[in-house]
Amino acid sequence: MVEFSWVVRSPLEHALVAGPYGASGEAGVSLTEIRNFDLIQVMARRGKATEVATAAKARLGVAAPETPKAVQTSDAALIWSGPDQFLVLSKGGKHAINQLSQAFASSASLSDQSHARALISISGAKARAVLAKLSSIDLHPDAFPVGAAAATSMDHTSVTLWRGDDGLNGQAVFNVLVFATFAESLWHTMLDSAAEYGVAISHSEEF
Amino acid sequence: MRIVCPFCGERELGEFTYLGDAKPQRPAADAGEDAVYDYVYLRDNIAGVMSEHWYHGGGCRSWLKITRNTLTHEISAVEPAAGAGAAKVGA
Ligand SMILES: [Zn+2]
Repeated sequence: MVEFSWVVRSPLEHALVAGPYGASGEAGVSLTEIRNFDLIQVMARRGKATEVATAAKARLGVAAPETPKAVQTSDAALIWSGPDQFLVLSKGGKHAINQLSQAFASSASLSDQSHARALISISGAKARAVLAKLSSIDLHPDAFPVGAAAATSMDHTSVTLWRGDDGLNGQAVFNVLVFATFAESLWHTMLDSAAEYGVAISHSEEF
Repeated sequence: MRIVCPFCGERELGEFTYLGDAKPQRPAADAGEDAVYDYVYLRDNIAGVMSEHWYHGGGCRSWLKITRNTLTHEISAVEPAAGAGAAKVGA
């Protein structure tokens, strides 16, 4: 019997080099990888939409989003990922798979995506300009306000994109969830796209 | 070309994959070889309004049924294909 030793590490561990990148001067964009999160996909079973809504409300305190939106609670974000399905993003294990599976046992199928995705947060004065090169979604605040979400593609890669609460400086914060095996590729594309504005690269456990 | 996904809203063509004619219905198990051959292989080459299956794989991963004019690319209707959004269907 082969013994495996699983080392938990970020899919961007090699690609991400914290510090300044691209044009010098004040960074126009901050690219921050968020590490160490719990991410659970909840998919309602046939005919169980109402039960899932009730279970979400009881377990997480809010109704699950039924349209492309992200709903923030005090300790989790519920992000629409398609019809009858959403992601629960949290940290610290409170809403990990074992904690959620009871609540949705009779109404939804759950899948643990915690180590299957990378989470990248894009902010700064030029955040929208960077994303405009990668995404065909209109991210103008009138079209994509705080709480807007989209299941879409960037650079031919499926992503879940949503706008979180504005940063302390009042600037928009965009979050991108990407499949772990595509994360490095998308990361490099993002860096290329952001280089001309100057980038501040970091990683964080906070979100 | 842009397609208005009933779940996601208006999206670029690159997020979608074309499957083909949405008309053929799977024949009954005892329908015979000709009916199965027709279902699997034979397609009309429609110049005009056609019902098609498309897949929003670069977005919400739903199958869609789209009414499109093959001469003008004008899309007159988009609806979820059977099964998409099924949690709202009666159990
Ligand atoms: Zn869609």
